[in-house]
Amino acid sequence: MISGNSFKQTVGTSSIIRNKAMSVACVCALSLLGLSAALLTRAAQQDQTSTPNILLEGDWVRTDTNGSGDFGGLNANVAKAQLTPAGEAIASRAGRGRGGRGGATPPAAAPASGAKETPHAAGQAYVLVSMPCNGMPGNGMGSFNPDSGGFHLIVGKTQVVWAQERGGSRIIYIDGRPHPDITNSAHPVYNSTGHFEDGVLVVDTVGLPTGGGIPGGAVRGPNTHLTERFEVSPDGQHMKIVYTYSDPSLYVAPHTYTYTFDRAAPAPTYAFEEWCDASDPIEGQSIVPPAQQ
Amino acid sequence: MVGSPGLASRLYSSTEKGPDRELIAARNGGSVKNFIVGCLAIFLAATVLTLRVGSAQGPYDSQAAMSNNSSDPRDLSGFWALSIDSRQIPPAVLVPTVTKTAIEKREKADQKAIRWCNLLGMPYIMDPGRPIDIQLGKREMVVFAEVPASPRHIYLDRSAHIDPQIFDPTTNGDSIGHWEGNTLVVDTIGFHPDRGITAIPGGGFRTATTHLVEQYQLLENGALLSVKFTWSDPKVYKTPHSYEFHYYRMPANYEPPPGLPCNQYDDLRTQFLGFTPAAVRKPSDVPGAR
Repeated sequence: MISGNSFKQTVGTSSIIRNKAMSVACVCALSLLGLSAALLTRAAQQDQTSTPNILLEGDWVRTDTNGSGDFGGLNANVAKAQLTPAGEAIASRAGRGRGGRGGATPPAAAPASGAKETPHAAGQAYVLVSMPCNGMPGNGMGSFNPDSGGFHLIVGKTQVVWAQERGGSRIIYIDGRPHPDITNSAHPVYNSTGHFEDGVLVVDTVGLPTGGGIPGGAVRGPNTHLTERFEVSPDGQHMKIVYTYSDPSLYVAPHTYTYTFDRAAPAPTYAFEEWCDASDPIEGQSIVPPAQQ
Repeated sequence: MVGSPGLASRLYSSTEKGPDRELIAARNGGSVKNFIVGCLAIFLAATVLTLRVGSAQGPYDSQAAMSNNSSDPRDLSGFWALSIDSRQIPPAVLVPTVTKTAIEKREKADQKAIRWCNLLGMPYIMDPGRPIDIQLGKREMVVFAEVPASPRHIYLDRSAHIDPQIFDPTTNGDSIGHWEGNTLVVDTIGFHPDRGITAIPGGGFRTATTHLVEQYQLLENGALLSVKFTWSDPKVYKTPHSYEFHYYRMPANYEPPPGLPCNQYDDLRTQFLGFTPAAVRKPSDVPGAR
């Protein structure tokens, strides 16, 4: 039996212990709440960075930042790729030009000597392209290095679609899926996956066909990774894509260059259709020289 | 005390001095435990929430990737395939001017478009022999497949067509869409009269005056997509021509195989299609010619 005094003393001791316990519990609880708040804040920040940049969606055209005035000059400022001997071997097979169109068959016609320019009479067209429209649909190495054709980006739930005006589209999966195993594929198919980092679409591509056609005389092989960063300006009117090709077997150092684009204007903008009919003789020939004064 | 005696007395009690407060503290010994448990619960909930939000673009959900349905009645995005039982196409009622000769002329033109690997356009793109990809963006919905055709752009951000005086007709035309409940209604004009495959399922063909209305609606919890097509054209149809396709949703992890090549310079292919291979012209002797 506990006397009144001892009861008070017991209660008092118990009270002190419990007060301490309460204090510890409070500190603990506040710490947990603080941690929870921090985690929630981080989650919110992650949510913001992972949110697709809706400004990316729209119609884009490549810009001539060099003032080159012609398509051949657009890549004038791209530094030459630093290739390994294996990379040089691919480059020599592919040619060092600005890139072919990836046609299904090699040209059958005799190549032009290209040495002399013969004046043409008024009304006389000359053949510039012997096999026009070959390699369509698609442009710019299958939507990797766009040329003068406009293109359109659509940001869906699981894909970013790169739609071209010459037909064909490129899919960039943004649902977190991994690349498929393409190591044993006899005919590798490129595969692009992407995610958003602070509104910048970062895309990784594997499975590019072996060959050239990349600005700076760069090349692709079975193990090449291409990273693209799609960054839209804060006003939404401009975009740049930073390309980086990585492959230790082909490159001494990763090969990087940048393309710039403007959003098509004025609104409402819409996709054109770039028609090319190889059965039409006009497709491959020059403009007809007008009568000279 | 005025007001709620329960809450007020608890608040008041906690500030009391002396043995009563100690007794209250002794009685509240169990609530410390509850408090800690509550905090832990909050902590766990926050952690779970954090992990969920963080995984928005995190680990790939392979189970969800196998799914071929959707709880969102407007979730048209995905790959869709037509099967043997997917088409409900009644015969079209044509105007008398669409004679057998006129139809044969159109058929020849369609064969030529195939032979030369032209962009094939509508309505071929909606039944191209392989799954079509539909992606719903903020501004537009795009429809395409890995075949020789332009992607279809269905604009959701405008309610009027581009001025026909400005718009250059295309094989797909100018499409605008809007939602009526959970049905996407798409209106298309501006078709090119000659380019691509112009034949319309059930009879008839598209011309410069053709008007198409489509209704997209998900069925079967998103596993099926119904598209009702209604073609109108006073030069071709006596009455509007309607038919319906049911597309099956492909699993979310589906990836299309690469498009098959279309090579208009392949002589074997050309002959197989019943055409005579054309001579390839020699490029002129000028710089840059190829």
